[in-house]
Amino acid sequence: MDCQLDMFFLEAILNGVLLAGLLALLALGLNLVFGVIDVVWICYAELVMVGMYGINSAYKGGLPFPLAALIGIALVAIAGALLHLLVIRPVLDTRPINQLLVTGGVLFFLQAAATMAFGIDFRNLGIRLGSISLFDMNFALARIITFLVALAAMLALWLFLTRTYLGTAIRAIAQDRQIMPLMGVDSRRLYLVTSAIGGGLAGLAAALMVLQYDIYPQIGLQFGPLVFMICVLGGLGNIIGGFIAAFIISQFIAVGSSCFHTEWGYAVAFLFFMLAIFIRPQGLFGGK
Amino acid sequence: MTGCGLARAAAGLVAGLLLFAGTAVADIKVGVIYDLTGAFAAGGSKAAAIGNRIAVDMINEKGGVEGHKIIAIEADAQSKTDVAINEAERLLNDAKVDLLMGVFSSAQCVPMAARVDAAKKFMWANVCVASAVFKDKNLQYVFRPQVHSDQFGEVSCSFIAENAEAKLKKDVKAVKVAIIHEDGPYGVGVAMGNELKCKELGMQIALKEGYAATSPDLSALVTKLRRAQPDVILHTGYNPDITLFLRQAKEAGLKWSALIGHGAGYGQIDKLIETFKDDADYIYNVDPVAAQLLDPKTLAAGLGEITAEMVKRYKAETNAREVPTHVSMGFNQAWILFTDVLPRAIKTYGGFDPEALRKAALETDIPDGGTIQGYGVKFNPPGHPMAGQNARSSPVVMQFIKGQTKVVWPVTIRTADPVLPLPAGHAYAR
Repeated sequence: MDCQLDMFFLEAILNGVLLAGLLALLALGLNLVFGVIDVVWICYAELVMVGMYGINSAYKGGLPFPLAALIGIALVAIAGALLHLLVIRPVLDTRPINQLLVTGGVLFFLQAAATMAFGIDFRNLGIRLGSISLFDMNFALARIITFLVALAAMLALWLFLTRTYLGTAIRAIAQDRQIMPLMGVDSRRLYLVTSAIGGGLAGLAAALMVLQYDIYPQIGLQFGPLVFMICVLGGLGNIIGGFIAAFIISQFIAVGSSCFHTEWGYAVAFLFFMLAIFIRPQGLFGGK
Repeated sequence: MTGCGLARAAAGLVAGLLLFAGTAVADIKVGVIYDLTGAFAAGGSKAAAIGNRIAVDMINEKGGVEGHKIIAIEADAQSKTDVAINEAERLLNDAKVDLLMGVFSSAQCVPMAARVDAAKKFMWANVCVASAVFKDKNLQYVFRPQVHSDQFGEVSCSFIAENAEAKLKKDVKAVKVAIIHEDGPYGVGVAMGNELKCKELGMQIALKEGYAATSPDLSALVTKLRRAQPDVILHTGYNPDITLFLRQAKEAGLKWSALIGHGAGYGQIDKLIETFKDDADYIYNVDPVAAQLLDPKTLAAGLGEITAEMVKRYKAETNAREVPTHVSMGFNQAWILFTDVLPRAIKTYGGFDPEALRKAALETDIPDGGTIQGYGVKFNPPGHPMAGQNARSSPVVMQFIKGQTKVVWPVTIRTADPVLPLPAGHAYAR
């Protein structure tokens, strides 16, 4: 163990906080969908990949980045709604394993489709936002923006769910899927809206990730397992729990990587996850 | 029937039998395994597969090997070790191929070689470099003309040591080196070679760390490198980790005098330039040389033309501006098998079963300059700690200078003087 409590250590910790922003944003949509529809989108990270390709195509097609990002967000929101309509809804009343398997099938389908459509090459937008320096520490502007957008998205989602009629209805159906339809709530419509919002959040993550990562068909594998771990740690379906868990895990990675070998950062994070789930199988912050 | 008629009938029968025998010459079925999809595909595997395919086409256009047509049955390992192993089993047991060749990833190569050898089948490794494939395994049926990872590790340190005083203006013992690597057999193998050789040469190892190639964040590693302040970073990785590292290094303000990559993603100069533009200039890459960079006059007669044809066909197929070294790897090793080992197996040992191929491979004796990549071929015999590995293979150090790949080491074949340290004004220059 070699923890040197210097400026570089602080830089690593703050970079961990910034990474948490992205992971929290990725967990947000997944948790929303599970919390409301009770279905785990195994293919969530692949929807992000679809958004990244969409943004790349729009940007390379000559559109300014903000417009390309909006197109990407809309694209994945539509993809989320279609995923629910075509894949989830037919198996919604069957055993949970069926829902898990069909979204797993979508994962492989999207990877294969992206490979056929876009090839194997790594792509990127070529946009460099630079970095800012603070006391001999450097932070990528793209990561800072991602962090701020993640906070804003969290706040916006909370306001939507608590201050709007539609949001209140979504929370209500999440609390009792059997009773609410008897009271006249159109659960099919609410599930569709929730899926579109979940997809839109994946699209938002895609818009931020294209500024930091190359685009390739398997990029979902780079993030998928980590995001699922965060969702489970926070309590699957618990939006606030997932948000906090993202910060906990990313700090384990940052501090673990700084004090031990880099690869140990992830090992330490996963070890903590296993211990936490052993003690609290429902996640650190319980159900929904 | 008259005597004359009988003679004619007999002659006709013999001619017919000969004709039948002629058309019944068995094809040589070769199972060719590369990653055509997944992360490794763009990291050089697809390029190697195309090189391999060009070699098969060119051999078949010349009538095959001793009259036997090469039938290549391609399999996609999908950048997954389990898929690679399953494909190898399928090709050997279901498709009944006569031999396996190809394989990009060392993570696939290590278990596959052990399995193939245990089954007494024949495998010809074209691209994977991990020394662990052969080290202390005493494999009998697996051969690799390609360089191995210990050599990669040694070459980069030797290059730095030879240029320390003249270029870095430092005594070799004052040079600080950081070794970073993906944590699979390939990265670990090269890094081990780096560490042993650099220490032997007296350099300081400021940092040595592995990481998962699929890691979504390398900022902690970059921060550690900023703290360690190495003169030279020795990096072994695939993609997307290489591009993630370069991007996060720039954002964090990491500086160095030299960055030396070891194959894989660093062999894809077109992709690096596309992503990093001028920032990709002056990066080094240790690899077997891209054949088109060698002076044909230094090679055996006719090899220059073969290289030119390979380059022509690759560019026609891919529209690439630069031909990555992986094309040469895929082509060269296949060419060695088809033009040297297989003919000997057929003529001397009566066919191309694993035993005949093994015996023929062990008799391979190609001098330096006898292959398009310059090195010779002589396999270490059974009982040797690296049995099956080419003892004459050697990588070179290349540098991307103004968007072009130049050989900068060894001095005897270099095509440019190395730019070291990075010139002022470069994004990563100190």
